[in-house]
Parts: sequence; C-alpha cells; structure tokens
Amino acid sequence: MARRGITTIRTIVRRIEPAGPGIKHLTLEDPDCWELPPARPGAHIDLSLPGGLLRTYSLCNGPQHHTRYEIAVKREPAGRGGSALLHDSIAEGDTIGVSLPRGGLALPPATRQIFVAGGIGVTPFLSAAAALLHRGDRNFVLHVLSHGTPPLARQLQPLLHAGLAVLHDTTAGRPDVASLIGPPRPNVLISCCGPAGMLDAFESAAAGWPADQLHLERFVPPPLLLDPAAKPYTLVLALSGRTLEVPAGMPMLDAIAQCGVDVPTSCGGGICGACKVRFIEGQVLHHDRFLTPAERQHTLMACVAGCAGGRLVLDL
Amino acid sequence: MQIDTHLQPAAAPSNESTPASSWKGVVRHLQLTPRAFLPMHAMPELTLIAGIGIEGDRYMIGREAGFYSHKPEAGRQVTLFEIETLWALQRDHHIALTPLEHRRNVTVEGVPLTHLVGRQFWLGDTLLEATRLSVPCRHIEEITGKSIFDPLINRSGLNCRILKGGVVRVGDVVRSE
Repeated sequence: MARRGITTIRTIVRRIEPAGPGIKHLTLEDPDCWELPPARPGAHIDLSLPGGLLRTYSLCNGPQHHTRYEIAVKREPAGRGGSALLHDSIAEGDTIGVSLPRGGLALPPATRQIFVAGGIGVTPFLSAAAALLHRGDRNFVLHVLSHGTPPLARQLQPLLHAGLAVLHDTTAGRPDVASLIGPPRPNVLISCCGPAGMLDAFESAAAGWPADQLHLERFVPPPLLLDPAAKPYTLVLALSGRTLEVPAGMPMLDAIAQCGVDVPTSCGGGICGACKVRFIEGQVLHHDRFLTPAERQHTLMACVAGCAGGRLVLDL
Repeated sequence: MQIDTHLQPAAAPSNESTPASSWKGVVRHLQLTPRAFLPMHAMPELTLIAGIGIEGDRYMIGREAGFYSHKPEAGRQVTLFEIETLWALQRDHHIALTPLEHRRNVTVEGVPLTHLVGRQFWLGDTLLEATRLSVPCRHIEEITGKSIFDPLINRSGLNCRILKGGVVRVGDVVRSE
C-alpha cells in the first residue's frame, strides 16, 4: 500500500500509433475502461513517468470521449528526456499515472473560433474542433502551420476535407499571421499554440485584440496560481537535521515531504487537524480553522500554514 | 476547559430514549467508483460485505484504490450523505452538486446523520455502525471544480462500518436499530 497515498489517476497505455514525423499518438484508459475525470477541450494532463519525471501534454481528443485521454508526443532530441522516454520506453499495456485535467479552451456558443497551430501545437485545437463538431457547431477554422507533413494527419484529414482546417506548409516560410486572424471584431475568439517564435508573431499580429478574445498556449506547463503574498523562506526540521530553501508558494507539506519526513494529512484545507506540527521558531501565517489562539503559539497546520519571515523551524 | 452543559448529551446516547430513534428515512441514490479520482457511477443496488466494504468500491478492503486508502479506517467501509445538504447547497449557496459529486456511497433522505455517530442503524437489510462524521476535503474541490469545502463543513456525511452485510437498493428504508 502506498505510504503517501494515491496521487494520480491510474491509466493504461491502450494504444500507441505513429502520427507523423517523430510523433506518437497515445491512448490512455482506465484499466476497466471506467470513465475518466471530465476535461475541457484541450485541457492539460501531467504524466508521471518513470524516474520521477513529470511531463505535461494537451489532450487531443474531444472531451465527449469520457473513457480515454489521447495525447500526441513529439520526440524532442534536445528536450529534457520526457518525450524520448515516452517514445522509447513506454509500451502498450504499461501503466501511467496522470493528474486531473486542468485548463483548456472556453468555447462559448455563437462565437467564431480561429485556431492557429504550429506543428504539434495542433493537439488542443483538434480536441476543441471535436468538441465543437460534437455540439453541431462548425463556426471555426483551424490553421495548421507545418514544416512538411503535418502532425496527426489522420485526425486532421476530415477537417481539411470539410474546409474547417487549412494547411500552411512553412517550408518556404511562415504565412502572415495577421492575415489569418484578420482585424479585431466582436464574437470572435483567436487562439494560438505553437513554438515560441510563432507565438511571438501571433502576439504581435493580435496586438489590437482585446485580451478576453485572445488565448495563447505555450509549450510549457501553465504556471500554478501562487499566493501573491507568499515569500520564499528557509525551512529547518530540527529533529531530522534537514534544511530546505522553500520557494514562494510551495505548500509546506510538499517542502516537508521533500525533506523525507512524512506528516499525516487528510482534509488539505485546515479543518481536520491531521497535519498538526509543533514549531520552535518562526513567524507563522495560520490559515487553518482548527487551532485555538493558544495552540497557535506553538503549533501549525502544515496543509495550509505559511511563513511570514525568512526562517521557520519545525519540531520534526 | 469549561464546557457548556447544553452542548453535551444529557445522558449516554440510547437508541430507545432519544428523538433520534423516531426518524425513518429512505435511500435515494447509490454511488461507487473503483479507483481514486474517477467519476462515481449511479447504481441501482450496492452489495455491502460486513467488515470489508462495498463490492467494487475503491475503499473495499483488499482493493485499497481510494484517495485515502493509505490511511485505513473501518468507517470508510460505507459512507452516507444527506440529500437535504444538496438542497441546502442549491438554496443557500447556488451550488448545484449532484449525488454523483459528493463522493459518498449512499445518498439518504430523512436521516439525521449527525445524530448517529456511535450508534447502529439499519440501511435496508444491512446493519451499520456510524464511526464518525466525515469532514470535507480539498480533494473534492479539485475533482468537482466547485467551491464546496466551506459549505460542507459539519455536513459532509457519515462514515460507517458494516456489521451485517447484504444488498442495499434505491428506495430501501433507513431506520434506527
């Protein structure tokens, strides 16, 4: 039994299919094909890979497919190892833990969607296109900029055939992004996902568009929401003799776990009392609704507490 | 610490002598899921196994596939939730929470769950013992995407162990022992 509990959704790699040059398309399902947690179109999931690697990918299937998450992974030889591992070491039938889906595209009704994708950046828009078609909405266009053969050509084919997707071969140069999105106008949302250079071009072309009609997606995980008041601090575990520089916004429980110390937790919201810890030194930000004022002089609830000073010493 | 006497039971709880014995409720919905994070399924019936849990549910002993399975607890064999809380969330907080989203196994109507801690009661033909009130957890907000942690404090359901197993069906009567 896992000492620290189950932190990911257990999925099985049901299929791995080639999906273009250096690209593999993976279908992940529950072991019994139970429904997976729902996702918005183009939502992200984190894959927990062997060796502790955590990699984020956009879903490329429509969210109406409740029993599977599909992702497309491009091998990045200069990458950090996640794509190479998925290409070389993961096989059909393997188990992969994934996070709950987060983020994704809002697709309000009666709104035209213009999607601009660079290469493998097409994945979230294939998901969005599937969601739109599922509700009978054809008021969108997907521009795919690709150097030669596009990724996920099989999935793109019906959209190209229906005139809902346009392929732009960038072998001879990138098309003018401004001409793809046109001038700012109401009831139109413009979205872009692709490599950094293309996003920069898109941002310049979209300079006149209101922020709420614009969606940009970079090839990096979306940043976690941080408490704007959170500051970094030095965490000292007195009994274990461990010290950690805690970056701003890192939950104290995560910092303690990084020091190799296990603190029991339950509610995660400062009401149940499971993760009560004594502190010896430091200025604590108590965000719990469990401790009495007297208890707050020497104890904290590690699931929600923060540090107002530069150093916190726990009796752990 | 001084404790106000009106906050304490006048005597040890007794199923015969308190108002808690006068109620009779009904099973409105049944839910289970085989693994942590996965959506719950509505079921027409659940099979409860004494001392073990619900057949096929994540917290059944031997399965250990729930979010809290690393912290074994007899009271997680079956969990109950009041449908009145779902109505209150809608009425008072404009939050639509369905029986599939509270992540307890049995949604009951007319059952005073908070009165039952430490007591035995019948759920259909099965006999349960309530071990403690459930507490809300951030995990449920993560899964549902709804801000329900605060509104569920003190009304997040009941944890029970199964003394006598059997099949529980939607529509079954819930009554005191």
